[in-house]
Amino acid sequence: MKTTVTGAYPKISDENQELRRALHRHDRGELDAGGLSGVLDESTRWAIGELNWAGIDVINDGQVRWDDLLAPFAGAWSGCDRGPLERFYDNNTYFRQPVITGPITTEGTTLVRDFEFARGVARGELKAAVCGPLTFATLVAEDHHYKSLEDRTLAVADAIAKEIRGLGAAGATLVDVEEPALVAHPEHFALARAAVERLAAAGVPLALQTYFFPADPLLDALAAFPVAQVGVDVRSRDTHALERLNALRQTIVLGIVDARNTRVETEGELVKLIEAALRQIPADYLWLAPTTGLEYLPHDVAVQKLKALVAAAHAAGGVKA
Amino acid sequence: VSDQVLLTTTVGSFGKPDYLQKARNANARGKLGETELTELERKATEEWIRRQERLDIDILVDGEMYRGDMVAYFAERLDGFRLGGLVRSYGNRYYHKPIIASKVSRPKPMTVDWFRFSQALTDRPVKGMLTGPYTMLDWSYNEAYKTRRDAALALAEVVRQEAEDLQAAGARYIQIDEPAIHARPEEIDIAIEAMGVVTQNLDAKTVSHICYGDFAAIYPKVLELPVDQLDLAMANYGYRWLELFNKDPFTKELAIGIVDVHRHDTESVATAAEGIRKGLRYVSKERLLPHPDCGLKTRSIEESEEKCRVVVEATKVVRKELAQAATPA
Repeated sequence: MKTTVTGAYPKISDENQELRRALHRHDRGELDAGGLSGVLDESTRWAIGELNWAGIDVINDGQVRWDDLLAPFAGAWSGCDRGPLERFYDNNTYFRQPVITGPITTEGTTLVRDFEFARGVARGELKAAVCGPLTFATLVAEDHHYKSLEDRTLAVADAIAKEIRGLGAAGATLVDVEEPALVAHPEHFALARAAVERLAAAGVPLALQTYFFPADPLLDALAAFPVAQVGVDVRSRDTHALERLNALRQTIVLGIVDARNTRVETEGELVKLIEAALRQIPADYLWLAPTTGLEYLPHDVAVQKLKALVAAAHAAGGVKA
Repeated sequence: VSDQVLLTTTVGSFGKPDYLQKARNANARGKLGETELTELERKATEEWIRRQERLDIDILVDGEMYRGDMVAYFAERLDGFRLGGLVRSYGNRYYHKPIIASKVSRPKPMTVDWFRFSQALTDRPVKGMLTGPYTMLDWSYNEAYKTRRDAALALAEVVRQEAEDLQAAGARYIQIDEPAIHARPEEIDIAIEAMGVVTQNLDAKTVSHICYGDFAAIYPKVLELPVDQLDLAMANYGYRWLELFNKDPFTKELAIGIVDVHRHDTESVATAAEGIRKGLRYVSKERLLPHPDCGLKTRSIEESEEKCRVVVEATKVVRKELAQAATPA
């Protein structure tokens, strides 16, 4: 059993607001792009340090440079702009909806520089992350090019696959595919699977991360996705997924620490969830994680959640594989 | 006001003047006392009442000069809440997201003095402005209640107390905003039940503002929300929600957003007037109220004024058309 995190880490704390100030200064023209980039690197170093220090086995880079899950891609790709603000699923958090202006193309190196930087900073295992194709395609505000959701999703998948190839060439051995749309819109699972098949063709092991909504209606379907891992939230919503984990064939990244509520779980509560999972699947196929990105919490609570996660993993017998 | 058609109004908040923004910052740093801050908030409120009168808006608001955030303002005044650390809402914007830490209660009225103050300044009606229980819940962390329904109903009880106090203080319009109502469409029954608690004893006209989200996911069910008037952003959405009314007719009063608030520039009077005409295809002139899409607190005073001016001018254009059409040749 390994511990891991998904998604973005808080970019600032009440005590450390350097990045917030730097972005303000950048907006006012008092800090140039190079200066801002330096602060972003420092903030990434800070986030990675905290994840390592908490004892998380497999970390990401905290996505400090990501304005939202879609931003790095919508900002970098040709044929795509960042458009109007909209609420991100059922969060009081907002993102910029992409506007498709033409065929989406990418060099496939959008995330390479940041991954290489993070690898230079991180101790231990580091994974990368991309936005899921269905999530990106369903959150588009306007599409002036593709004729259908299917065309758009598969075109996005091709672009993401190229980014994954780029990450693989840079040394990534595991890439999270963050796909909340799959559980938000289970009716599109066949399309999501076709898209993920294109990502898998890039040849880098993938972790399909579902969150925000219960995965219950999809557990059987998820077993057929060509990925190494599937992330399932068993904590934050009404769900019986915990009792049906053996429907899956892949390693399960079990979301047991609620990343959208400040109440910190007790060790007893978490151990009970882990033990229930272990009755369904062997420990070799179980990773433990927060239910989604910790950026939905204030920094001080995020730190406590990481501690609770690691302590519960140790208590349940998962002391370093 | 009573026999006028297409009554104009606004959603609630306006841009704060520089002197107030500076005073709020100084207050947060402990460099300015509450009494001094309140005095400046009153000055800014009076300025906004006068501006609204000059702009010839029919149903006024106090402009929320004394609020930062529509949930935190109440959370700071209710027992049971504490403010958490900073959380990002988008881009580089952060807020202290409230935490429901224990059972919620209202030690004393939270907005009634502000209502009395602003209503005393004008003969035009001023709306009482509250945040609805479902949105209070959805925009807070719930540590205290076992279920979201339990929390929403407990919050409904304190909002009910506040709404009834506003009515007793003379409020003819009470707005109970639910911008989060479509966050989880499967929970709309909870939002409806909670609003029923709030409005059960009210005779005042009740209004609820809804914005940012998939309105189609909760329509027509949202017509069961027990308020007289729904207040919807339409310009930002290209009026597409109106098409829903073809299949399921809209049965309440409609406050219709005819200018986008998240742009610095403003639509022309002609464009805004066309928005009103679109609304008139679905809702009668007695039950349609033109206004900007959403609160104007992110805009400057000048931008806020310009958006209101366009709303009022567009309304006058359409009123004139309606009067001409009604006059026998």
